[in-house]
Amino acid sequence: MVEKILFIIFAVLTVAGAIGTITRKNMIHGLLLLVFTFLNVAAIFFLTQAYFVAMIQILVYAGAIMVLFVFVLMFLNLRSFQQEKQTHRQRWIALVLSVLVLVEFVAVLYGVTKAKYGFSLASVQGGYSPDQIAAAGGNNQVFAKALFNDMLLPFEVASVVLLVAMVGAIIMVKKEKHGQMATRQWEPGAEPALDVAEEEV
Amino acid sequence: MSTVPGGIPIPVDWYLYLSAALFMVGAVGILTRRNLFIMLFSLELMMNAVNINLVGFSGFHQNMTGQNFVLFTMAIAAAEAAVGLAIATALFRNKKTLMVDLFDTMKG
Repeated sequence: MVEKILFIIFAVLTVAGAIGTITRKNMIHGLLLLVFTFLNVAAIFFLTQAYFVAMIQILVYAGAIMVLFVFVLMFLNLRSFQQEKQTHRQRWIALVLSVLVLVEFVAVLYGVTKAKYGFSLASVQGGYSPDQIAAAGGNNQVFAKALFNDMLLPFEVASVVLLVAMVGAIIMVKKEKHGQMATRQWEPGAEPALDVAEEEV
Repeated sequence: MSTVPGGIPIPVDWYLYLSAALFMVGAVGILTRRNLFIMLFSLELMMNAVNINLVGFSGFHQNMTGQNFVLFTMAIAAAEAAVGLAIATALFRNKKTLMVDLFDTMKG
């Protein structure tokens, strides 16, 4: 019962923080509200007894990724964005359509989970009930065993993805040597000279 | 109420409703705001909605795969944030603005 009350509180705070995030004019305020939202999501993970994921949510998401955002935001001239129009021309139709999709989501979820229309959500229990997790040494142990046995290949692929993203980010942020755009130094259709091609790379 | 005896005491539908609400808030942010950074924030919100779904079903099905997938979602979110911020920086350096409807060089 306590868990349910806490879940409702954190869920309301999560959605409120999310709505605040997308309505702020000042990007720093939006960012802080986004961190608030992430911390509430971490609390919901705690309530689900997913302790490792909750800690990763706080450390990586609310910590590392948001610090990256703060760094980049501080490089920009924030004042100049507040005087401009903040929303697109299609904002009202987008809002109405989004609310309609949300209503659709809720209707479908209600139909599926209430077992009124012939469907019902059945739990496929894979053998990790909270008691068994406690007996096996806690959430971290079971999580790590599942990750490094069943999910080893996706784990390695994720590391490659992170490496590629890092290289891509460095290349895109790097300043060009000559002005804004790299200028073309050979005629269209002609082969570039070897030294030019090397310089382009 | 979709709970499992001896499992997580919160019904799984609640996670689904919360996730749907958070996802649609993120979608509204993407569709209505002109600011590139607010759109990136909205993307993060939508990814978190997916994570809530995964963790909720992980508790419901008593299976660790959902929680493992949250780790992968976070890795992809970190990669997306790095690349997205790099693109935003490059765009700002060239155009001196972050309003996405002004980036119309390709007449899209």
